[in-house]
Amino acid sequence: MSPRARVALLAVAGLVLLPGAAAVIAGLPPFGSTIAQYGARINAIVPEARHVANMVSAINFDLRGLDTLGEEFMLLAAITGTVVLLRGRRGEGSSERAMRRPGRAVIPRSEAVVLACRVAGPLTALFGLYVVLHATVTPGGGFQGGVILASGTLLIYLGEGYAGWRDAIRSHWLDALEGGGALLFALCGLVPMLTGAAFMQNILPLGTFRDLFSGGLMLVENLGVALAVMGGFTQLFLEFMEETRAADAPEEPGEESA
Amino acid sequence: MSAVTSVLPYGVAAWLFGIGLYGIATSRNFIHLVGCLGVCQSATYVLLLGLGYRWGSIAPIFYDHPPGTPAVDPVMQALVLTDIVVGATLTALLLVLTIQAYKRGGSLDPEKLRPMRAGGKSGRDAGSGRVRDA
Repeated sequence: MSPRARVALLAVAGLVLLPGAAAVIAGLPPFGSTIAQYGARINAIVPEARHVANMVSAINFDLRGLDTLGEEFMLLAAITGTVVLLRGRRGEGSSERAMRRPGRAVIPRSEAVVLACRVAGPLTALFGLYVVLHATVTPGGGFQGGVILASGTLLIYLGEGYAGWRDAIRSHWLDALEGGGALLFALCGLVPMLTGAAFMQNILPLGTFRDLFSGGLMLVENLGVALAVMGGFTQLFLEFMEETRAADAPEEPGEESA
Repeated sequence: MSAVTSVLPYGVAAWLFGIGLYGIATSRNFIHLVGCLGVCQSATYVLLLGLGYRWGSIAPIFYDHPPGTPAVDPVMQALVLTDIVVGATLTALLLVLTIQAYKRGGSLDPEKLRPMRAGGKSGRDAGSGRVRDA
């Protein structure tokens, strides 16, 4: 189909859907006027009921924790699919060590970059840990903190180069982090059932409001999510980097498409 | 507030979605297509955050402000968080599929890729004349 025909088809489909979309948009509340009842109730009730200050964490890890568990496994499935597709082509024989591709020069890094990364890397990791631990009191949580932790490992790559990074970070550790985090989250749902409580019911003491240790089970779930996100995102980066090297089976794409 | 500010966030969301959809429909490159999908997705962030916003209220975190202070809708913020995380990993998965399509077909142009058949004709149809088996 020619691009012009595709745009025409899109326009026709848009015209068909337009009345419905216009009706929905007209039915939306004016921007900034009111919030939905559900959100207003959560803001009113949850600080006392769950002893947490961060409502977003309370929704994600307590009120609608089952949804987040599903999301966690969606993340796990997407990363697993990525890894399987990329690693499957390279085969099992690929080594853990980084290899130099023949004919490709290694650009030397300036010492300022190395120093900056050595200083900023641990600090970034520390900040990521802070964000994870303060999930229930400040804007933060396992997802955000996990991404910051993963960027901390990427700073090691920037500073030390790929070979040094691969020496420090093993692929199967990342697998274990990713799967272990998801397992920890699933156990947070299953272990309360052993005590006769409902799935993912908060059986740990809720702690005091505005304290680091508040929210009970939410802290453990955040930790699981942070491990999974950190392992998963670092794993994605590793697999994409491995894809560029292709030392043993060089690929020449037949035709360059712009 | 005036009528313009009341409609503006929804207008921005609709514009982002529309322009992303146009990009997807006219795309001749898979990487461009994945990027356009990201633009479409950012429309959902704007829409959700616009739906949950309330003038003169704080983020739904009652640390500095006592509970009971007017706050925006926390449900929408939780949904956006979900959206971002799933979107990031899904983009990675789509880019991997792009790599696979490029390796099989030798092209990133969806027009040039033909359905793969058992006979291994796909490489020739794609114009590269290179047939590889997995």
